[in-house]
Amino acid sequence: MIKIVKRDQPSRAIFFFTPVLAIFLTLVAGGLIFFILGFKPFEALKFFFIVPIADKYGFSELLLKATPLCLIAIGLSFCFKSNNWNIGAEGQLTFGAIVSGGVALIFYEQEGFYILPIVILAGAIGGMLYASIPAILKTYFNTNEILVSLMLVYVSKLILDYLVVGPWSNPEGFNFPETRQFSDSAKLPLLFEGLRIHAGIFLALAAVVISWFVFYKTYLGFQMKVSGFSLKTAKYAGYKGKKMIILVFLISGACAGLAGVGEITGPIGQLHREISPDYGFTAIIVAFLGRLHPVGIIFASLVVAITYLGAETAQIFMQIPKYTGQVFQGMILFFLLASDYLLFFKIKFIGSKK
Amino acid sequence: MNTNLKISNVTKIYPGCVANDNVSLEFNSGKIYALLGENGAGKSTLVKILSGVIIPDEGKIYLNENNLKLNSPLDAKKNDIGMVFQHFNLFETLSVFENLIIDSDEQRDSLREKIDTIMKKYNFSIDLDIPVLNLSAGQKQKVEIIRCLIRSPKVLIMDEPTSVLTEQETSELFLSLKKFSEEGILIIYITHKLKEVMQLCDEVAVMRRGKLVSVSEIKNENIESLANKMVGQNLKTIKKKKANTSSDQLIKITNLNFISEDPFETNLMDINFSVNRGECLGIAGISGNGQSELFQVLSGEIISEKNSIEFNNNYIGDLNPQERREYLMAFSPEDRLEQAAIPQMKIFENVALNNFKSSNFFNNGLINENKIKEHSKKIISDFNVNTDNIELKSQFLSGGNLQKLIIGRELITSPDLLICFNPTWGLDVGAINYIHETLIKINEQNKSIILISTDTDELLKLSDKISVIHKGKLSKIMNAEEVTSEKLGILMGGAN
Repeated sequence: MIKIVKRDQPSRAIFFFTPVLAIFLTLVAGGLIFFILGFKPFEALKFFFIVPIADKYGFSELLLKATPLCLIAIGLSFCFKSNNWNIGAEGQLTFGAIVSGGVALIFYEQEGFYILPIVILAGAIGGMLYASIPAILKTYFNTNEILVSLMLVYVSKLILDYLVVGPWSNPEGFNFPETRQFSDSAKLPLLFEGLRIHAGIFLALAAVVISWFVFYKTYLGFQMKVSGFSLKTAKYAGYKGKKMIILVFLISGACAGLAGVGEITGPIGQLHREISPDYGFTAIIVAFLGRLHPVGIIFASLVVAITYLGAETAQIFMQIPKYTGQVFQGMILFFLLASDYLLFFKIKFIGSKK
Repeated sequence: MNTNLKISNVTKIYPGCVANDNVSLEFNSGKIYALLGENGAGKSTLVKILSGVIIPDEGKIYLNENNLKLNSPLDAKKNDIGMVFQHFNLFETLSVFENLIIDSDEQRDSLREKIDTIMKKYNFSIDLDIPVLNLSAGQKQKVEIIRCLIRSPKVLIMDEPTSVLTEQETSELFLSLKKFSEEGILIIYITHKLKEVMQLCDEVAVMRRGKLVSVSEIKNENIESLANKMVGQNLKTIKKKKANTSSDQLIKITNLNFISEDPFETNLMDINFSVNRGECLGIAGISGNGQSELFQVLSGEIISEKNSIEFNNNYIGDLNPQERREYLMAFSPEDRLEQAAIPQMKIFENVALNNFKSSNFFNNGLINENKIKEHSKKIISDFNVNTDNIELKSQFLSGGNLQKLIIGRELITSPDLLICFNPTWGLDVGAINYIHETLIKINEQNKSIILISTDTDELLKLSDKISVIHKGKLSKIMNAEEVTSEKLGILMGGAN
């Protein structure tokens, strides 16, 4: 007989094991789906997860996709750790990209070392401004930040749409919905000749280190931890709740904004409609898969980045839509939530009494 | 037709708490039954078992001799048991009628007719086609009642129904309930309000700490006897030695009011009192009469007007708890596991919740872990916390040890005033004695205490002065020697 028993205490080993279990289950379920679709499961999974990163170029692409995911997820973990549910990182990314893109366009025919820092800063500020909207509404008007931040995603996408079709569209661009190319001074330097991986990865790594320090070494990190467990306790301890809500939203907005900057001043080099394949949403999965721990988030962002690449390979070699990637992302989250059940319960096998 | 409902040996155990301990009760239609008890006494668990929300670990339920299997609320409905919860379960944006048809499988038209008949019969006037959010609390409750009546229930359970009602609405509700009872519906009325029990009910069952304490007829009881049964005091009065209370005033509360936006909280009205150095002021009352709100106002979790609280010649009404700690106040809230400490965090991390500046737990925004650990070790040895591992998660401490840790954390900064709320709730006798001795000791060191407690024994034992809170108002402050538990019982029931 199988019996489910409550654990006295979630064990630390299980805490880091369940994400691995979730990934394993995703592979099994993915293989099953491929089988039903008429592919050989192992071959299909190989196309999906191994072929894309088998060469130098593929590996650079992996890091390229993991960079924004990691950066945004780090920012989000500030919010999630302290009980603030910012799910509008995609909007903050878009708005950060709009502001930094606007600044880059001002300098479109100029060169100078000072341009890139200004462009990057503008992106961070843009993301912060956009994240401050749900934060201020939450602190002063008691609105639900989940709804507000989510709805603002679509607003920012429409603003971007309007700008690239209208006022900011390239005058020599034959009415394509895109802006001019940015000047080289407004672009992040490439790390290797012929590969697309760019200096944005250092922003992500810096964010990892800083967040680790803040979470585990500072008073702010301690307050976030307390608020995450119990807002009642935070209030009793006398923490300034409103200030903290605004601060974590600003940090998370800045990270998402920087991710936006990385995209448009990195691989894209201009503004157009599709600057992000929903990195802002996928990063939510990354944050939880990485257990809101900076190091965990690095691994999680690499794993999830593969699903983007695998989806493209699968589209080319197996003629299945690239949205399979989203199916895999969904499955990871699903299985993660399901296996988190094991955090609090364990399965016991009991010999039947007969 | 006569309805007979029998609860037989029901037990429900939660980790660390026996919510219902072998409870057996019998009800017959034609009477209104009160189920009386303080918050946490187990009455809600019992009625949730009756309504299929909770499945008991042991015990059986019989309705007219049939053993009921109540595995879900739907089972309860099928067996003609209707329940109106304290918090309404209505869809605010849907119309009244839509809310009523949701869990019914009848035809719209026939149902509408049925509802109209019910409303006429009981003199309910509610527009069926307006959204529920436009209704008053009393009207919403009527919608919930109609929802039960549609199924012509044999049993109707009301869980704390008057907590959101006005006086007028309450008396309307009572009229309806009496009518239902006359028509043969068995009514079980859950409350901790004694007056209502006296007004409405025929029989009363009292619960305390998961156990059924007594079942009796209302005509044999009065408010005071019921209050005694509820809080479970015995009449012995052990008191501490009368401290040499000075006339040196430490804290003074002047015209303090708190109006809550939450209908489930109690408003505080015109609170005035003062406490001298070395004195313990006890505040008695049946839980839910504003104690929690009073604690929060005193601790700074709820901020009030600057001048309403004068502490050590400073006006501090607008300061938050951390700022108040710097003026040498300390706080021990009622809820150990959800407020005073975080079970999932380590012992030394919980110690850092009291961020008293000169303890230097945090320097320039950085955590000073060594300092915190040093401090934690001192608390553990000074206050007899039974562990030597400060890295232990505090969920592994027993209730008594956790409370010692909390009290120790608050007292180690040598505050002038300790405000505590039910400090010994749910503890074993040994821990209770230790806490009581500690509290007496700090009085002897010329420090003051405000003790908010629902335990009358504790109050009589520790206080120099006592006041009673009822419906958010404080009674006049009495000297503890002049107070008897009978007198407290009367005041707790709301008499003047």
